[in-house]
Amino acid sequence: MSIAVERTRTAGSSGGGAADVLRRFVRSDRFARAASYVFLLLLWWLASVYEDRFPAPLETFQFLWVEVTGGSHGGVVRGEFLEHFASTLPRFGLGIAISMVLGIAVGVVIGGSKWAEALFKDTLLVLLALPAIIWAFLTQMWFGLGDDAVVITTFLSAFPFVAVNVVQGIQAIPRELRRMSRAFHVPRYKRLRHMQVPAVTGYIFAGFRFAVIVGWNAVLLSEWFSSSEGVGWRSRYWYDANRYRGFLAWVILFIGFIVLLDRLVLVRLQRRAFRWRDAQASAIEREAEEIDIGVKGA
Amino acid sequence: MAQTTTTTAGHGPRGTAHLSLAARRRIRGVAGLLIGAGGFLLLWTILSRFVFGEFILPPPLEIGREMWEIVESGAFATNFWATIERLLYGFGLALAIGFPVGYLMGTSRWWRAFFHDMVMVAGSIPGITYAVLALVLFGISILGPVVSVALVSMPYIAINVAEGLDSVDRKLVTMSDAFGRQRSAVVRHVLIPTIMPFAFAGVRLSIALAWKVEQLTEVFGSSSGIGFQIRREFEDFSIPGTLAWVFLFILFMLLVERFILVRLERYLFRWRIEDQA
Amino acid sequence: MATLTVDHLEKTFPAIERGSVPTTAIDDLTFTVEGHVFVSVVGPSGCGKSTLLNILSGIETSSSGSATVSEGTRPARLGYVFQDPRLLPWRTVMQNMLYVIDESGAQARTRAERYLEMVGLDGAGDKFPAQLSGGMQQRVGIARAFAVEPDLLLMDEPFSHLDAITARSLREQLQDIWTQTRKTVLFVTHDVAEAVQLSDRIIVLAPGGKLYADVEVDLPRPRKVSDTDVATMQAELLGRFETMQAETAAAKTASIAN
Repeated sequence: MSIAVERTRTAGSSGGGAADVLRRFVRSDRFARAASYVFLLLLWWLASVYEDRFPAPLETFQFLWVEVTGGSHGGVVRGEFLEHFASTLPRFGLGIAISMVLGIAVGVVIGGSKWAEALFKDTLLVLLALPAIIWAFLTQMWFGLGDDAVVITTFLSAFPFVAVNVVQGIQAIPRELRRMSRAFHVPRYKRLRHMQVPAVTGYIFAGFRFAVIVGWNAVLLSEWFSSSEGVGWRSRYWYDANRYRGFLAWVILFIGFIVLLDRLVLVRLQRRAFRWRDAQASAIEREAEEIDIGVKGA
Repeated sequence: MAQTTTTTAGHGPRGTAHLSLAARRRIRGVAGLLIGAGGFLLLWTILSRFVFGEFILPPPLEIGREMWEIVESGAFATNFWATIERLLYGFGLALAIGFPVGYLMGTSRWWRAFFHDMVMVAGSIPGITYAVLALVLFGISILGPVVSVALVSMPYIAINVAEGLDSVDRKLVTMSDAFGRQRSAVVRHVLIPTIMPFAFAGVRLSIALAWKVEQLTEVFGSSSGIGFQIRREFEDFSIPGTLAWVFLFILFMLLVERFILVRLERYLFRWRIEDQA
Repeated sequence: MATLTVDHLEKTFPAIERGSVPTTAIDDLTFTVEGHVFVSVVGPSGCGKSTLLNILSGIETSSSGSATVSEGTRPARLGYVFQDPRLLPWRTVMQNMLYVIDESGAQARTRAERYLEMVGLDGAGDKFPAQLSGGMQQRVGIARAFAVEPDLLLMDEPFSHLDAITARSLREQLQDIWTQTRKTVLFVTHDVAEAVQLSDRIIVLAPGGKLYADVEVDLPRPRKVSDTDVATMQAELLGRFETMQAETAAAKTASIAN
């Protein structure tokens, strides 16, 4: 029984053209990905067959189409999509903005001072552990219905993620760099601008990404309980009416938005923010390759 | 059994020096805990009395009293056990599915491509989706929370298992082959121990997420459990009640983390040099 | 007592990149080893010594020719000592020993204990590898290979990663344990002096994997490095070794010039 080093097979197997192409396609990664979506769709459909209140894929997408483009579901008002997203997005944006500002501020303080860390880091961890539903409930009890509750819930859910990441970022600045700037008596503002801020930027960005994902989920939850319009409210509307395909259609819109946001905007930003780190990494990789080839040749 | 006295550099032979090192570490840990808790309570009291008002943010003492009543009445024990039970089943299911999926992802490119997107998607679905769909599919039963926890945790475990497989030391595999070990022995003695720390990390990562999703599922579709109690307090419009249940659970999770998980981790990985006192 | 038969063995590695030539690690190698002898295979880097061991243990396959190890009619049991200890870090020393022993129960344990004692590690059974020094770990590796009670023991430069002092002490221990157990050993090394100290027979391979010399070492044991006979033989063999390297270098320059 051995994992033998295989005798290298002669490249390129001979054989019929079409059958070979097909076989290679089936074995490819692209086919695997496509297969996974088909599989999920199949599971979804099976669930709807098993339980007939469970919305089926086809009807859900039909419903979605109507909600987006207009038309009626037997008497319901048309074209809800833009209207509700227009309500939700400002609340979301405001909540995230506040969480970033306060999150960075608090993170810098806690990360920079040992006693602040000892006193308040555990508080941050507790806040991190509180589920968004709690905030949704609490804000509803505190602020009643309306925008405030939603913005605050978003802020409260996202804030700990930002703060914790910033703390990590500040603490990750290698001690040598800090010592070096002290040894050279680099003035404080320069230290801030050239050492602390760039080092932390990556972590701030990671925190931002978390904030967006967590915040978006929080918005949904909060609007469910505290709003009279918006994506979350609309989802609940269909849920209350027991039209689960409506609920699912809006969830799909909801997830679709965040996935698009993530792929198109956030990933690009992240690549820019981490340019210095990735550039350094690839230089190291190149060096390692050279050493590797040198050894193999010996 | 003969005791070989090994003296590793920097430590004396077993005796008082060894004891006080561990004791010192423990004291530092407890002190840190007290300070952190102190800071938390201080902040809370200030916010409660001077910033938000005692209706909006009841002071720690009041919440503490609520919590005590809940525990005393036995309600905590029953509901807590209901919630934990679902978490455990959910994790069991997540491990049972996550290991094979992770194994496939770690050993085959095709399967990695197949599962990759699914695993990513599972992580971005908002909890409420699981909550509502579980309700529709399973009604008010234990299955809802269990399946939700499993679906939410499984991606982390699979990814970590795949990564663990990536890190298997080939030299140990060739050694096993040279000694003619069977494939099953290699899996048992080389692969699984290598994967263990990764799987453990996966469980730890997903616990935080899992319990949040579980709460949400319970809020929508349960008749017992912490989430259900929280919803009840919310419907009664009781801020102290809601907060009390939440803090009870968090307190317990912290205790479980610090005492059970950390001990388990130390036992499982006692062969690592870093863990030698 | 195992018989090792190597018959016109060849191993060529295909070219890695375009433009480079395939590497011949072993070139038409033929020799036989019988009986309880300690045989060293000596050669400079790149002469296929490790490849030979890999083929014998089944880790690699040959390009052509054969290398068989047999114990009478049945395939032989093999033990292997690597350059690095290759202990399972998450198992104790004793568990590492038991991993390779096919028996179970008390018998296996006693066997493992016996061999641990032979390398002077009889109290270390419950320790984890991380708690042992490099030299101690390698001793466990040696004990482990012997504990299999193999028909053929393969050793791949087991002391090359150790410091000189530890290596010297382990060489003596190896001599001891071999004298006690008299296994058939195939010992690979680039250190001619080491080969003379330990073996009954030395097979010298030239770069490119060709057999260069096959020398009997008929000196009494135990051999100390300080023995004149041993030193003489070492010098002699070293001289032949250097001649071989010079010949190879000359041949290479000649081929480049052409």
